[in-house]
Amino acid sequence: MCISLSLYVRLIEISGTMLVNISITEPRQMPRILIIEDDDVTADEIAAELASQGIYADRVVDGREGLARAADPCYDAITLDLMLPGMDGLSVIAGLRRQGITTPVLMISALSDVDERVRGLRAGGDDYLTKPFAPDEMLARVEALLRRQNQQVQQTQLRVADLELDLVRHSARRGNQKLSLLPTEFKLLELLMRHAGQVLTRAMIFEAVWGYRFDPGTNLIDVHIGRLRKKVDPAGHAMLIHTVKGSGYRLAQTD
Amino acid sequence: MRRLTDRWRTTTARLILIYGAFFALWGGIVIGLIYWQAASYLTRVSTDLLGRQASYFSMLDAPARAHALNDYVSLQTRRLNAWGMFDADGHHLAGTIAVLPHGITIDGSVALLPRGLVRNDGRTDTTGVRASAVRLGDGNILLISRDTSVAERIGTIILRALLWGLSLTVVPGLLGGWLLTRGPMRRVQMIREATQPIMRGDLSRRLPVSRHGDELDMLAGIVNTMLSEIERLLGEVKGVCDNIAHDLRTPLTRLRTRLYRLQQTFGEHSDESATLEACMVDTDALLHRFRALLRISELENHQRRAGFEQVDLGEILQEVHALYLPLAEDRDQRLELQLPILPSIHADRHLLLEAMSNLVANAIKFTPPGGRVSIRARAAEDGPWVDISDSGPGIPADQRDMVTRRFYRTESSRSTPGSGLGLSIVSAIVAVHGYALEIGDSDCGALLSMHCCTVASD
Repeated sequence: MCISLSLYVRLIEISGTMLVNISITEPRQMPRILIIEDDDVTADEIAAELASQGIYADRVVDGREGLARAADPCYDAITLDLMLPGMDGLSVIAGLRRQGITTPVLMISALSDVDERVRGLRAGGDDYLTKPFAPDEMLARVEALLRRQNQQVQQTQLRVADLELDLVRHSARRGNQKLSLLPTEFKLLELLMRHAGQVLTRAMIFEAVWGYRFDPGTNLIDVHIGRLRKKVDPAGHAMLIHTVKGSGYRLAQTD
Repeated sequence: MRRLTDRWRTTTARLILIYGAFFALWGGIVIGLIYWQAASYLTRVSTDLLGRQASYFSMLDAPARAHALNDYVSLQTRRLNAWGMFDADGHHLAGTIAVLPHGITIDGSVALLPRGLVRNDGRTDTTGVRASAVRLGDGNILLISRDTSVAERIGTIILRALLWGLSLTVVPGLLGGWLLTRGPMRRVQMIREATQPIMRGDLSRRLPVSRHGDELDMLAGIVNTMLSEIERLLGEVKGVCDNIAHDLRTPLTRLRTRLYRLQQTFGEHSDESATLEACMVDTDALLHRFRALLRISELENHQRRAGFEQVDLGEILQEVHALYLPLAEDRDQRLELQLPILPSIHADRHLLLEAMSNLVANAIKFTPPGGRVSIRARAAEDGPWVDISDSGPGIPADQRDMVTRRFYRTESSRSTPGSGLGLSIVSAIVAVHGYALEIGDSDCGALLSMHCCTVASD
């Protein structure tokens, strides 16, 4: 059983109604992740990286046990190794989705073959990461999954500081200034704004905006971001699009 | 014509020619020997006979001699024998020979008169004769002759027999040989066709082996065993490379993670940051190279065409153009796109985009600022072509075959960052599709053409 839930129940018992009210308004402050992974080193790496961002993680080693634990609604996302003892990862996802559990799943596999990825996504996985991975890449993807989980409602407008994006009218505005964006730039900005405050790696950006999963060379995404930045962050305005060295980009209001 | 000369170069044809020549020579010697034996025997017999006859006639008395000489001529059918009676001065007295040949010795010895004799009916012999002259008791000269050309005629018959024999043996032999070489030549042709894909690098192919088990099959068997061994060794080498790349990726990724964490710990503006950044860039380059290497392996093993669908090539080119336009503009380059209406092709959309994107990225990388890169598609009957040309330094003609090899970089490109794997990825993708990649000349700079053959070349 989930520790937070039992802790939470105990807290209710101790402090009574007031705490319950607080908990209802802010039910999930700390996301919880379930790591289904049989390799200790990889599991430790994932856990450490998540912990560095204040995300708690539980770990199971076995596929069957993983499926049982994943049914617990206290988990906000699952990282799942596709090659597991007991039950393989694809069966775990299929089992989860059959039960109607929609917790987002980040599949992690040593196989980089496109077919493997397609099979995983078809089975109901949400994202795919090839081993070995950079932990920050993994973290960025988990955060994106968590964000997606929270954004179930269709938004028609995105706003970060004085930057506004109208998804219906396909228009963008910075302060009073209307921005004229090319279709690709619009998609890129939409992605960054949907994940405002969160680091997006170049690979994630390339996948999400262009829909392709090959290595387009290091500076291609940089050039596209550079163009967008010129339009979004004109002189005299606060910088919104930030470069995160060694990782990728983040759109955020700095103060 | 070429095939005909090829055919005469086969072992069978050569053996037949040698046997033919040998047979002709041997036949000639045998026939010559027989001829020589027969002729000398016939000559000896007729010479002997002529000598005896001459002495016999000279011993008879006149009436008996006249009678015997008459018999001598009339008892033979083919007018081989002749005689003449001359007075002491050589004037004709009687007989079928009109003129006593000049210079003949009148002692009963037999002489060969190659030009024959003049007969009393005015005719001159056409063949040589043997003759013997004796002086009779009354001083007259008796000349008897015998046509010995029969030996030569036998020789002619034997020679003719030899020619017929030779032609009846050698002509069908050569013809048969020519027909016999057809089978092996057809198989050589089959082997030649089978080696084409092997020479292009498809080591999984083997030479055809028939059920005959003859020398060609033995040879094909040996070559096939050799190919298997080469394939195994190459596979092993590639496997080792892939394993190294695969195994090194994990520690490299961890190294990069540690560097990243260190950088985070020190903060972005610390003294160590720049060094750490440089370390990370190098690690990234290594990781990128390993990824590309494994990607090529993956593509080479990607035999299935599961991801194949009808794809709009024009759309892909437009996407690639849009994707790389900002990059080109950043380098003050013009990125042109010429797109006629193209039929859709059967391909893997993602792979094709990856290949095109690699080609365009390469062209942009090697073109100096202010240059031009052009993506041009043209329709052809057997599938559209995509030409990607640039105004860079170009690829020297002698290095064009090499640039698609793993890690190969031209001399001039060594100073540019890169792994030398981009074109290998492209050529692996091209191979998956059964397309062709040609590297040629543009007015200036490099020209890489991809032919999206609609008809499979293999």
